[in-house]
Amino acid sequence: MSSEYYPWGGDFEACEPKGCIAVVLLTTSYIPPDSVAIYGSLRTENIGIEKIIANVISNPHIRYLMICGDEIRGHRSGSSLVALHAHGIDDNHRIINAPGAIPYIENIDQAAINRFQQQIEILDYIGCSNATTLNRMITHYIDKTPTAFGNPHYAIRICPEKNLSLDDSRALHSKIQIDYMGKIQKRGG
Amino acid sequence: MFSFTQPQKAIQLGDVIFGGQPGEHATVLFGGLFFKGAPDYEFAANELTTMYNLSSQTGIPAIPDFFIKKEEYINDILDFIKKTIPPNKPFSIDIIEPALKIQTLHKLHDKKLLNRTIYNSIHIGVTEQEQETLAQYPPAMAILVAFNPKDTSPDGKIEVLENGAHLRENGLFDVAKQCNIEKILIDTAALAPGQNSGAAISALPVIKEEYGLPSGCAIHNVVEKSSWLNTFSGSRDIVDIASNLNIPLFGGDFALYGPMQHAPKLFPLIAWQDILVAEYAEQYFGITPAPGHPRRIFYP
Repeated sequence: MSSEYYPWGGDFEACEPKGCIAVVLLTTSYIPPDSVAIYGSLRTENIGIEKIIANVISNPHIRYLMICGDEIRGHRSGSSLVALHAHGIDDNHRIINAPGAIPYIENIDQAAINRFQQQIEILDYIGCSNATTLNRMITHYIDKTPTAFGNPHYAIRICPEKNLSLDDSRALHSKIQIDYMGKIQKRGG
Repeated sequence: MFSFTQPQKAIQLGDVIFGGQPGEHATVLFGGLFFKGAPDYEFAANELTTMYNLSSQTGIPAIPDFFIKKEEYINDILDFIKKTIPPNKPFSIDIIEPALKIQTLHKLHDKKLLNRTIYNSIHIGVTEQEQETLAQYPPAMAILVAFNPKDTSPDGKIEVLENGAHLRENGLFDVAKQCNIEKILIDTAALAPGQNSGAAISALPVIKEEYGLPSGCAIHNVVEKSSWLNTFSGSRDIVDIASNLNIPLFGGDFALYGPMQHAPKLFPLIAWQDILVAEYAEQYFGITPAPGHPRRIFYP
């Protein structure tokens, strides 16, 4: 889903628009209370993390990002998100010190990452699915009533350049054409 | 229906052939064995028997895909493979953690199983240690996953294979070559809805035409991530199974179809689809289905 507060869409539930906590669910059946701003699952250590960044900085009321549940095996998405917040990305766009298999941030710019690091405090509860503990911590941080972080920051999705020609409209794919005999013509030709 | 201009490689491992022109060889199905907690070998043996029987009945080749998630399971799973899987049949190992992959390669070598192993998989996150171990103990076949987080289009997937898409110094083809892995399959990397999920299917004919290599994907993963299906009670399984039809329809050669429990519904479905493609391909393009193809079995 997507909404005016969370333009990038994703597998999440939007709750209290002026809530100060977003909750990232790893492997867990925990469902956060409606007092949080937004919660949703994280699976991948690349595109999934990009969506979280974009959908958190678009709502300046969110000041805390709680990560809970058991870590995603292999992907180590929760720990990779923590690493991104702590260290950012290198010149190849790889999250520095991320333990995940393919921890690359490719569709969101450095300004968005900087904003994420400045706006958000990470609440690392990786490994915890205990509803009593998590609910208590959520209440604790809501009670701090932090102020909003200025204006919303709408991250621009970086798109690869496309070179399409008019002929492409007839094709199965932009670079493939099928002739009247059903034979595929060379890609790009 | 279509046929490729580029000659298509048909690659054999054990009694399974991957690739070729549409209608030539049957679609190969990888059935996954996933366990909640410790592996249940009795359950696994039953599922394997069912899948292999369906394979014999339909002519659709079957590969068991063993998901290994913990170090403590490596030995037992490989012993189970050695004991249960007939020696002429390949199998694949599906591991995410690089360290676990390295340990498993050592064990596969020790147990003399590398000549039947399909390594699932090599992707842009392959580590140096993993590459060194692959070069030391090359599996018979590897799946190269053409996942490009920056460009999810078919062209982006090709970039990952050819040059690493600036995420690595070299492409996945070079990695396989440097590791002495001669037999490769291309996985077009199915992504979640909203992330260009259809590109995994449209990339199949693109990669086949470009390289002539056997191509496929785990398109059912897109279904798994379609949470809106929960609104429609009972629909998820049928959509999951039916999603695999896209692969032979678009010229693909193999499907990683998820839980092996889906075999009873999926094998007849794919056999039906392969017959449909093969019938037209023979009449229009003169492509004869190989011995053992579902069309040879059901319309001899």
